[in-house]
Amino acid sequence: MSIVSRREFIATSAATAGMMALRPQGVLAQQPSTDMTIARWGGQKPNDEELKDIAVKLTTQAIEGLGGMNRFVKRGDVVWIKPNIGWDRKPEQAANTNPELVATLIQMCFNAGAKTIKIGDNPCNPAIKTYENSGIAPIARKLGAKVLFLDESRYKEMAVKGELIKTHPVYPEIVECDLVINVPVLKHHRLADLTMCMKNYMGVIGERKSFHNKGIATCVADITRFMKPRLCILDAIRVLTANGPSGGKLEDVAVKGTVAAGVDIVALDAFGAEVMGKDPKAIESVKKGEETGLGKIDYRSLALKEFSVT
Amino acid sequence: MSGPRLLSGGVALRRLVQIALLTLFVGLVLAGRLTGDDQPSPWLKFYFLIDPLVLLATWLTTHTWVSLTLWSLVTVAVTVLLGRVFCGWICPFGTLHAAAGRLLYWIWPDRKRRDHWSPWQLTKYYLLIAFLVMAALGAHWVCVLDPLVLLYRSTVVALLPGVQWTLEESSKAIYDFDTRLDEAAAHAEAASEDPAGRSLAAKAPAWFRPSKLTEPPYAWIRDRLFVVQRQVFLNAGVILAIFAGLLLLNRWRPRFWCRYLCPLGALLGLLAWRPLLRRRVKDDCSHCDLCGMACHGAAGRTPGDQWKPAECFGCLNCTSSCRRGSLSFTFSLPWSKQPAVERLDVSKRAAMASIAAGLGALYLFRGTPQGRAKTYHPKLIRPPGAREEQEFLDRCLSCGLCMKVCVTGGLQPTWSEAGLEGLWTPHLVPSIGHCEYNCNLCGQVCPTEAIRPLTVEEKHVVKIGLASFDVTRCIPYAYGRECIVCEEHCPVSPKAIYCVEVESHDSSGQKKTIKQPRVDPDRCVGCGICENVCPLKDSAGIRIYSTSETRHPKNQALLREADLY
Repeated sequence: MSIVSRREFIATSAATAGMMALRPQGVLAQQPSTDMTIARWGGQKPNDEELKDIAVKLTTQAIEGLGGMNRFVKRGDVVWIKPNIGWDRKPEQAANTNPELVATLIQMCFNAGAKTIKIGDNPCNPAIKTYENSGIAPIARKLGAKVLFLDESRYKEMAVKGELIKTHPVYPEIVECDLVINVPVLKHHRLADLTMCMKNYMGVIGERKSFHNKGIATCVADITRFMKPRLCILDAIRVLTANGPSGGKLEDVAVKGTVAAGVDIVALDAFGAEVMGKDPKAIESVKKGEETGLGKIDYRSLALKEFSVT
Repeated sequence: MSGPRLLSGGVALRRLVQIALLTLFVGLVLAGRLTGDDQPSPWLKFYFLIDPLVLLATWLTTHTWVSLTLWSLVTVAVTVLLGRVFCGWICPFGTLHAAAGRLLYWIWPDRKRRDHWSPWQLTKYYLLIAFLVMAALGAHWVCVLDPLVLLYRSTVVALLPGVQWTLEESSKAIYDFDTRLDEAAAHAEAASEDPAGRSLAAKAPAWFRPSKLTEPPYAWIRDRLFVVQRQVFLNAGVILAIFAGLLLLNRWRPRFWCRYLCPLGALLGLLAWRPLLRRRVKDDCSHCDLCGMACHGAAGRTPGDQWKPAECFGCLNCTSSCRRGSLSFTFSLPWSKQPAVERLDVSKRAAMASIAAGLGALYLFRGTPQGRAKTYHPKLIRPPGAREEQEFLDRCLSCGLCMKVCVTGGLQPTWSEAGLEGLWTPHLVPSIGHCEYNCNLCGQVCPTEAIRPLTVEEKHVVKIGLASFDVTRCIPYAYGRECIVCEEHCPVSPKAIYCVEVESHDSSGQKKTIKQPRVDPDRCVGCGICENVCPLKDSAGIRIYSTSETRHPKNQALLREADLY
């Protein structure tokens, strides 16, 4: 298989896609506004039902604080929302991204004029089950988003040009989209310590298992740089504190009631680490992210807005 | 007593019914596309529930029956009243044989027609006797040759994956062609400033890509017809060869399988020894033998006035082929002498020989160390809820329904793992697909409850095997590098795989600590996701063995907690 670089691939697979790929720097350069928002629930400790409404409120506040979805989505755009739908677990078990959060994003993207919204991940359990049980597929379909199953045979070897990963199979349909919104859930992970925004990109690549023994932090940073993140939303509404990333026990789930959104993926991951009570500098992938220029660990030095939502 | 003559145009009606029921069969196979949260409908196993051989054999081996299989008594009643109409009208395998016979005759029309009764047709009765003797002594093998089971298994294991393969490969070829077109266009663009020098590909507009047409229908079919991508089964070649071979035998004799081999046909033939519906021949018969040539079951002998109801499929070819209208089917009381019914000459000696052969075959099946429960096969991982091995074999039809619904495609037909007796019974091959933690479909659909129907909560505590690290291969053990993909995927909570930090040295002699995974045998359920996801693809660093399986009280390595059963 001949290898197509990302730029070549985009430039040639569809003329429109090629043009869109050049846009991100332009958009960000024009609007040096807020880099990151944190929306926290400031009310009483909620139950599962109340948490659904709270998820909607927090997400809306976080995105609005960032300047609204119009900052990222243009009329007619094709948007891929990439939640973490890794495991055949219920929303309460916090192994997947909060479905209400995803639903709010879909709504906001459509309101901003998105033509097509695609939702998909490459789950560790059979996708057909996992999509449903995570609660994400039913709600996304209801809102008119396309819920897509990734096809094993459609990955293409692309030039990642990273430190460890030179080429890797990536799912082309995601690369072709105008915007990929990265929506991970904050979780415990034995090897990577935590799984957050950067590691979420492992769901769009083909041979992720080999990462684990190559030096997972560097591999994750390589793929992140290749994906050129523009908008990430970290779901810390419910977090998995132990037995991650698959979880399963409700005792391991903590309600943090927090949603963070931003354009700096390293800053978001650094914030996530603090939510979990860890030093961001001790998390290899975060450290690696800053070293390779993906963003800043010191998220407080950015244009940051914090909200308390009630 | 003579009833009204049944329509000779009944042949058209019969073909319509046959096609409808074959379509239903295919539809029911496709309806086995379940996601694991569905409540499977009992209709999925419809054809096994109306099969009296399944009921009889299961009753002989276990002295119990699954209540739904009692529906097969309807088939019994129909056969006693009307003869083997099941073979001529209902059986989808019979329909395929009729179609194959016609097709092969169309390809080679010059063959000599030898469609008359042959004493070799008694073979199926002797085979049935031998197999029922085996069943009475506990071996359920007769159902491996049951036509409905055979057809279902062949469809699930070989035919449907063949269709899937064709769809996936052809659409991928188009998809890859388009990508190459894009690449060629890009290179041509880069290489040449002169627009006239551009290749054809570069001139093709961006929207002109065949995959834009083929991808949507392909994705639709993939997502709605199949669950597992690139699904394949072990032994598919053998099963396909047998299936194709049986169909090809129609070239030699029409409906060879139905006439000579089919054990269900033999059982129904025995039930149809004096049916109410009988063939009547008028005195004006000219003995032209057109009816004999057209007969599906070779039930008549020339001259056409002799008729064996046990071999007649009620296909109505004889009545419709008769130019004089001398033939008709009429109703008669069982004891009435007219119309005459010819008996089968089942030889007592041959029957005795069949019984002896059944006993001999039973020893062949069971006279192995594993058959006598002296050894256990380490790779015989039965699906969750499967009964203790002998009890399981007493019930399993090897129909393939569980393999069809398995959401990971990990349930595969055995070859030698369970011995000859357990040929093509289901076992989990974790390197192909694991047992999904929250899925209990195989037990829900099993027509004979060889796999018990468990709730998901019950299933969570059933061990189907035990994971075990191969420290000469597992990356943190053998190569001193981080990995723990198995720990990440372990679905049990708290995880059955835990990590121990150990000190190690890398090749330059530097000290480092790495996480080494271990298995907690109390928590491990043997689902095999660890083996499935292990980065070592050829032979995983962690593998599942059958030891400690809940179903087997003796195949236990470690003291176990309270039993489920």
